[in-house]
Amino acid sequence: MRPDLAGARQIGVLARHNLLLLLRDPGQIVAYTVMPAVLMSLLQPLYRAALHHGPAAAAAQDAAGMVVMFSLFALNVIGHSILSERTWRTWDRLRATPTSALELLAGKAVPLLTVLGVQQALLLGIATVAIGLRPAGPAWAFIPVGLAWSLCVLACGAALASSARSHGQLGTSVDIGALVATCLGGALIPLSALPAWLRSVAWVSPGYWAMAGYNAALTGQPATRLLPPCGVLLAIAVAAAALAATRTSRAQGRNRHL
Amino acid sequence: MALAAGLLRPDSGAVTVAGVSPIRQPRHARALLGIAPQELALYPSLTVREHLRLFGRLAGVRGTALHRQIDQIAQAMCLTEVLDRPAGLLSGGQRRRTHTATALLHHPRVLLLDEPTAGADPTTREALLAAVRAQADAGTAVCYITHYLSELDTLQATVAVLAHGRVIARGARQDLLAALPSEVVVQLDTPVPSRVVHGHHDRAAEGRLLRIRTHAAPVALGELLRDLGPDAGRLRGVEVRQPTLDDLYRSLASLADQPARAPRSDAA
Repeated sequence: MRPDLAGARQIGVLARHNLLLLLRDPGQIVAYTVMPAVLMSLLQPLYRAALHHGPAAAAAQDAAGMVVMFSLFALNVIGHSILSERTWRTWDRLRATPTSALELLAGKAVPLLTVLGVQQALLLGIATVAIGLRPAGPAWAFIPVGLAWSLCVLACGAALASSARSHGQLGTSVDIGALVATCLGGALIPLSALPAWLRSVAWVSPGYWAMAGYNAALTGQPATRLLPPCGVLLAIAVAAAALAATRTSRAQGRNRHL
Repeated sequence: MALAAGLLRPDSGAVTVAGVSPIRQPRHARALLGIAPQELALYPSLTVREHLRLFGRLAGVRGTALHRQIDQIAQAMCLTEVLDRPAGLLSGGQRRRTHTATALLHHPRVLLLDEPTAGADPTTREALLAAVRAQADAGTAVCYITHYLSELDTLQATVAVLAHGRVIARGARQDLLAALPSEVVVQLDTPVPSRVVHGHHDRAAEGRLLRIRTHAAPVALGELLRDLGPDAGRLRGVEVRQPTLDDLYRSLASLADQPARAPRSDAA
């Protein structure tokens, strides 16, 4: 069999396997879909009061912010998924099969990519009904942004999980990292409400580029305006995936905490 | 095991799996391997069947062949009854058998099993040994790591003894044991007279028991009867114990613990 076909087949087997694992324990995914839907509705009056550009702008900030913030917490899902495998010793067992590190990670990412896509579509759909979100641009514009952002989140989660030494360490890194990226990126508090010095460094947060992409899609900007945020997010995804693959192919699963 | 699977790079030297380098051709090398590490690697929420299906598919087995091989290995490992039970609900022995079955399922060219019977009940042990023996008979090269050396007798294996990470002896069981003395245990109905022990380094008295380490049991027994003289009538029992692999390991390990007197590995 050609190597590329063999690789695709291994990814398919692993994606199916990981989807099964997700469906057997879907708690986190359900929480990360229900919680933003509730918060979105509760925070809408605050955004309307804080932003003086009308209800449409408030709805856009609210919806994009919740999508970015809660898909960022999906770092936890892929992170713990990989770390649990290390705890169960199944990660090393899978590494001993005819499967490369990248295929292992892709097998983890594919079902979660689908889940994140569904989560983001659901949240945007709920936002149109619950808080009056009216995207000015075409629906397809959300696809490249959502894809780039999801890949970025999953790759960062995989990189963190392949480097973490315990569930506690991973949880701490993810919680702090997600909160900082969310706040600094303007997902929870609008950028215009942040202190000037924070606004000047906001671009270092992947959340900033995700918000820029979603805002461009929501406000109907030309396709060229989607390119910079998508490009940055994909670049971060590639770097994080390379780190995760390197760690996965070289690391030993055992340490004093796992 | 990690070196054979290409998960670690050797500090020196090279490892090949049926002639294939796991460093240069990891996918090819791993396709030839079946691995069951010492530590169990199972998903608590997945059933035995789902485990076998996963590792079978990753090894390239599909369709009806996969179903057939799952049924075969489940039967061989006494897992048929629990095929649809999640691993988290299995007993320790069933988990161990499931773990090992994932390595055997696809009939690999090379099988690496690290203490597959650790903590296993007699049923598990018998099933595992029979399945491993069957794979070896079918042409699989089996590397079987164990602390239960009697299992190597059952498997009729070529033995390599490791101590401190080095192979200190290797060969067929009978060749390795040929160098070890037998033990003749003689029981008297009174304490062993000191005169029959004095000056004999191969004899040791423990109350009414006398142990003789010898390569020629009949000769040693004849000499003892002569030395006992009239006390020979107090003899109540004689047992000749042939050396076992446990004796071999103890002997070699104690030598390996004394570097100055340790034998060369190729002389063991």
